[in-house]
Amino acid sequence: MSTPLQMVELRDVHMRFEEKKVLDGVSLKIEPRERLVIMGQSGSGKSTILRLILGTLRPDSGSIFFKQFEITRLSRRKLQRVRQHIGMVFQYSALLSSRNVRDNVALPLEELTDKSRSEIDKIVDEKLELVGMGDSKELLPEELSGGMRKRVALARALVLNPELLLLDEPSAGLDPVIASVIDELIISLSEKSKVTSITATHEMDSAFRIATRMAMLYQGTIIKEAKPEEFKHSKNPVVAQFVSGSTEGPILEGSLDAITKK
Amino acid sequence: MPNAEPPPVVIAEGVGHVTRYFLREVGSVFWLIANTFEETFERIQRGRLPFRAVSFFRHTERVGVDSVPLVGLVSFFLGLTMALLTGYQLQRFGTERLIPGLVAITFTRELGPLLTGIMIAARIGAAFTAELGTMQVSEEVEAIEAMGIGPLRFLVAPRMLALVLLMPCLSTVSNLAAIFASSLVCKAFFSIAFPYFFDLVKDSLLIRDIITGILKSFLFGLLIAAIACYRGLTVKGGAAGVGTSTTSSVVTAITTVIGFDTLYNVVYTTFYPT
Repeated sequence: MSTPLQMVELRDVHMRFEEKKVLDGVSLKIEPRERLVIMGQSGSGKSTILRLILGTLRPDSGSIFFKQFEITRLSRRKLQRVRQHIGMVFQYSALLSSRNVRDNVALPLEELTDKSRSEIDKIVDEKLELVGMGDSKELLPEELSGGMRKRVALARALVLNPELLLLDEPSAGLDPVIASVIDELIISLSEKSKVTSITATHEMDSAFRIATRMAMLYQGTIIKEAKPEEFKHSKNPVVAQFVSGSTEGPILEGSLDAITKK
Repeated sequence: MPNAEPPPVVIAEGVGHVTRYFLREVGSVFWLIANTFEETFERIQRGRLPFRAVSFFRHTERVGVDSVPLVGLVSFFLGLTMALLTGYQLQRFGTERLIPGLVAITFTRELGPLLTGIMIAARIGAAFTAELGTMQVSEEVEAIEAMGIGPLRFLVAPRMLALVLLMPCLSTVSNLAAIFASSLVCKAFFSIAFPYFFDLVKDSLLIRDIITGILKSFLFGLLIAAIACYRGLTVKGGAAGVGTSTTSSVVTAITTVIGFDTLYNVVYTTFYPT
């Protein structure tokens, strides 16, 4: 089997959670420095794709590559090393609740590098300034708002200067201004630091702002992959309905009738 | 019920199901212990500390120092009761001088480690499960894994080591508290002076009893930590799941400690029948 030149490649990935088929033959290629946005309804399997790339989930079948590494075949030790080149921002931030902001961001540096305390502090300060959280270093996660947590999670994901950034619903539940700030940050990272990013979202404004390419996940498969402009004018009824947010179309067929009858 | 299975089949199925579940759980706990060791030694081989000393000492303080009052007090009362109740029985035969040896041997070899194990399973095992379970449901464990940090050596290893090292110390506290309590009873009710009491303890206690107790304590510490951490890391179902797993962790740990204690005694008395 040939090794891909892409940053990430998924080949015919199938995944099932008990009885529910979540991914049904997903294939996807992500080029270096791209900002791919994966769109789809809640529960459509977007987060599952990110977790599969990270290797915290294993697919039922299919292959997943990160650069030359086949994630699905790596040993635990090698997988841990590969993950150090990938930054992940979780949907609910997943900050360690017992550590303050500074310690959360410093954790990967403390655990995975030989840097001195002063070097770590310098990098942590730099990353927190980058996300506009320089003044909140001593706060605990419970003292932060949702947007602040997301920004700290982003700083933590960036602290090892990853080549690939995975973002799970980065702007969900945030006010429009903070959502735009995070989107701008993702764009600037890819332009200045050449970071490749994969964002899973169903927030259309955010998706069109970030994406250099988009993919629509529907019923376990990628039904369309294209530039944002093509997505805006897509004739595909599922994509058109999703982009417009209309209730008319194939996505809610059946379930909408059930809701309106009630 | 035309399609109902005959009772023997239902019973056999039930037994099979329970056995399979039991073996899977036991296997998983041993898998956790083996993988924690592996991750920890891999890290040491690379010339790095497996976890931060601060994290380890925080756990030792909680497991050890903070548990001393509970373990000491419960053992003190139990030693007191044991000396008192056995003392009155032995007095009828004029053999109350056997009390010091009886309490000392019983606690050093059996009750000290067992009582400590039960108390620590309830106090610390529950805390470990709830802590790791909350981290699991709030995706913190996955975030640690996602960073490329081994969650077993980062989260489980310091807790496991703290419990394994501190259990013998707490058992010793338990033994001393019980022996001290029985010395007070002997002095107050049976006119055995302190120096004579401690001479009797020294005469009756064998090094073998002390070593047996210490070995048991190490084993109980390892089992309690492994069960508590395993239950914590496998929590499913949000806050309710954390509650269920914590209860299950305490029940499983206490049952396992008592079960292993019995097994240990059976094996020990088979090979050293004195």
